[in-house]
Amino acid sequence: MSFLSPLALIGAAIVGPIIVAMYLLKLRREERPVASTFLWRQMVRDVEANAPWQKLRRNLLLLLQLLLMLLLILALARPFFATQGISGSNLIIILDRSASMAAVDEPPNRLAAAQQRAMQLVEQLPDGGRATIIAAGGTMEVPASATADRRELRRAIQGIQISNGGNSDLSQALNLASALAAREADSEIAIISDGNVTFPDDLRVPARVSYFPVGRASENLAISAIALLPGLGEQTLFVQVSNYGEQIANRRIDLFLDGASFTAYNLEVNPGSEANLNLSVPTHVEVVEARLAGSDALPSDDRAFAVSAVGSETTVRLVTNGNRFLQTGLELLSGLEVLQVTATTTTFTQTVAEVPVTILDGVVPNPLPPGNLFFIGPLASTTYFSVTGEIEFPSVRPVGGNEQLLRNVSLSEVSVLKAARMVPGGWARTLVDSDGTPLLVAGEREGRRIVVLAFNIHNSDLPLQYAFPLLLANLMEYLAPGIGGEASQLIPGQAFALQVDEQISEVRITRPDGQVVSSRTGAIQIQANQAIYADTETLGVYTVEGFSADERVSRQLFAVNLFAPEQSRILPQRDLRIPQVSGAQSTLSRERDGRQEFWRWLALAALLVLLVEWLVYQRSGLSYLRERWRQGKAA
Amino acid sequence: MTTAPPLLTPAFLRQLDRLALLTRRAMAGELQGERRSPRRGASVEFADYRPYTPGDDIRQIDWNLYARMERIFLKLFVAEEELNVHLLLDTSASMDWGEPNKFQYAQQVAAAFGYIALTNLDRVGVTSCTSDGSAAPLTGVRGRRGAVALFSFLQNLSASGSGNLANVCRRYSNTVRTPGPLLLCSDLFDAGWRDALNALAARTFDVTVMHILAPQELKPNLEGDFRLIDLEGGPTVEISADPDLLRRYTQTLHSWQTEIENFCHGRSMNYIQVDTALPIEEFVLGRMRSQNVLK
Repeated sequence: MSFLSPLALIGAAIVGPIIVAMYLLKLRREERPVASTFLWRQMVRDVEANAPWQKLRRNLLLLLQLLLMLLLILALARPFFATQGISGSNLIIILDRSASMAAVDEPPNRLAAAQQRAMQLVEQLPDGGRATIIAAGGTMEVPASATADRRELRRAIQGIQISNGGNSDLSQALNLASALAAREADSEIAIISDGNVTFPDDLRVPARVSYFPVGRASENLAISAIALLPGLGEQTLFVQVSNYGEQIANRRIDLFLDGASFTAYNLEVNPGSEANLNLSVPTHVEVVEARLAGSDALPSDDRAFAVSAVGSETTVRLVTNGNRFLQTGLELLSGLEVLQVTATTTTFTQTVAEVPVTILDGVVPNPLPPGNLFFIGPLASTTYFSVTGEIEFPSVRPVGGNEQLLRNVSLSEVSVLKAARMVPGGWARTLVDSDGTPLLVAGEREGRRIVVLAFNIHNSDLPLQYAFPLLLANLMEYLAPGIGGEASQLIPGQAFALQVDEQISEVRITRPDGQVVSSRTGAIQIQANQAIYADTETLGVYTVEGFSADERVSRQLFAVNLFAPEQSRILPQRDLRIPQVSGAQSTLSRERDGRQEFWRWLALAALLVLLVEWLVYQRSGLSYLRERWRQGKAA
Repeated sequence: MTTAPPLLTPAFLRQLDRLALLTRRAMAGELQGERRSPRRGASVEFADYRPYTPGDDIRQIDWNLYARMERIFLKLFVAEEELNVHLLLDTSASMDWGEPNKFQYAQQVAAAFGYIALTNLDRVGVTSCTSDGSAAPLTGVRGRRGAVALFSFLQNLSASGSGNLANVCRRYSNTVRTPGPLLLCSDLFDAGWRDALNALAARTFDVTVMHILAPQELKPNLEGDFRLIDLEGGPTVEISADPDLLRRYTQTLHSWQTEIENFCHGRSMNYIQVDTALPIEEFVLGRMRSQNVLK
């Protein structure tokens, strides 16, 4: 403990003797002549019996006053503890609220510990210092912006909740913090997190960055995948349990079918590997819940749900002159029902709800059928793209990055004879490129999803490659969400989209916590034949029901699971290497340059002592009051 | 002394004219007065007969009886004599205290009592109780004219020194020739108050103890730390006054008063507690009459 203004302590040397001296002066009793001390003398033995106590009671005031003075002087000297902390006057706190912060290794959980640390940092703010709170993880939020109001800051910190969705991407938050820090000289950025975050490499933060790690444990066993796949006469349940820790984990996994206990397995999972379960469940089962018995550091990934896809086949209209590759590929996909129509068909009577996807293999009917569209080798322009000619032997170059539609697909071996020279609209994002001409684009336009493959698959060796069924599966999953076992699973925060048509007047969703939301109240948005529900932060099974004039016409389930390895890997990082303008890389604050001042507590204690001192001084008055009260009660 | 305000107002004195002392029994005096005496003497009130013996005053022979019975009897009448009223004033320093002042109150009580006695042709003697006894007592003023001497004597008294009530009372009791009604005005703040009262009880005084206390003594208005100084030079007492202490003081005071009262009743003395806050007129005309000291 040290003092900011130790000179104030001299005050004790001055004021203390004054108090004592004045007390000694005061100790001279007031002399009061009385007629006779005859009666008082009779009580003198009582007084004498009480003499030591009386003396003490007299001195009590002196002691209290000295204590009061000491406390005040100490408060004036502004004592502080040197702590790991911050020194800037413009503090930007980035608080990680990703799912891994729900780990309970820091009681009650990491987020609470982080919040507490954030409060401490706010407490350490020098007078007049301001702070900004940024909640990172999921959607970035700024609940408090450059305010000196500690109450508001406290409220903002307490208002932060775990966001299961989203990743632990700090880039947005760090960019904002850098921009804020650049505006003021004495800025400091504090990152309170377990360190399982990503941030851009090219950033140079123009302020000091301090990282306050939260969390201790690294052991975590998680259900990393669950799927319920329809088969013949039964369904296949697939469960994967991963051990993200560093020690062998032994846990029991309980399986529940429609809420009833079904079976249990004891699993032994080596660190860094996973255990798989494959078992058959009856077709009538709608919901399977897998639960790891016992508890570990992160409970939210110990439960997972899968919903059955049986009976929810999606009809796909295939407009073709005959394409065996395509037919075979589509038949292999589960949850799809192919409705083949001839290429000459020009009128499509089915609604979007009945046939949500149309594959146009080499034909471009006018008008286009409703619903999502998959153009293959288009020969004519449409409102969505224009075809300006042909290119021969285009090179196939998939765009890099983490493109979901191209996952597990390797197109580098594919050769194409000729393709349409296509100019897509601004809606499209290019998935496969060829010298400036896109070969495969996907995107959303006017509420429908559109995928365009610029070449006829007969003009390439694509169907002969492994890539073809995988690409087809990915594309169909994109075009017809809700097919297959996987599609009925969402990650937290991912929006759920349901194709609806005009006859459905209301969509209701029953959330895992039992709450029912309806499109009537605006919680579910219906736009362009799609019902969209985005509030899927809560893990569990959601039931979606479509109503047409109070009559239920459709029912669908989807499950929200936390399948995020980067969140389940909860080992806290000791250091974050963030480049700073000062040249430093490490963000671990080694030096104890934070100051935890506590003169407020001393002042509060002084106030209490003052109160006690006053009570002691007024004790006779108090007992007088008590006497009066007693008499009043007796009367 | 002319500058001092009169002890008693004229209006009050006129009211006192109507009062008289009550005595519990007949008492002998020295001169003829208006009080029944235990002796036989000349008055209009018949007392007894007794056979004539040579030497008796033949003027007292009841001739009517002689005519009837042919024997000589003397007709005796009740003697009417004066009373010797004794006023004992405690003039120790402790009396000169309080608001209203105890000593002044005692002077007034004594004056009123003495005045009543004087209007009834009684003899009044005033003695101040101080330890040295140097102050010459006022002895035997009589008649309404004596009131002037009585008042000026009382006014000239001053309270000082430490009284030794017991000694004074013992000496007084021993030296007084004719006992009579005795009024003791004191605050009895004296360790020897029992001895004093016992000494007075030894003679046939008709004692009335006026226990004069100031309201500040009955209910001390103290709060805080004090060093109490005894006016008579007694030991000082240091107190920290709080309601608890004051309550205990009140308890002590009450038990002391009760003790004195029981002591007095055991010796057929009148005991009257006097609070100087009570106006003197009210006290004399009210309290003293209700206590059967005056009528």
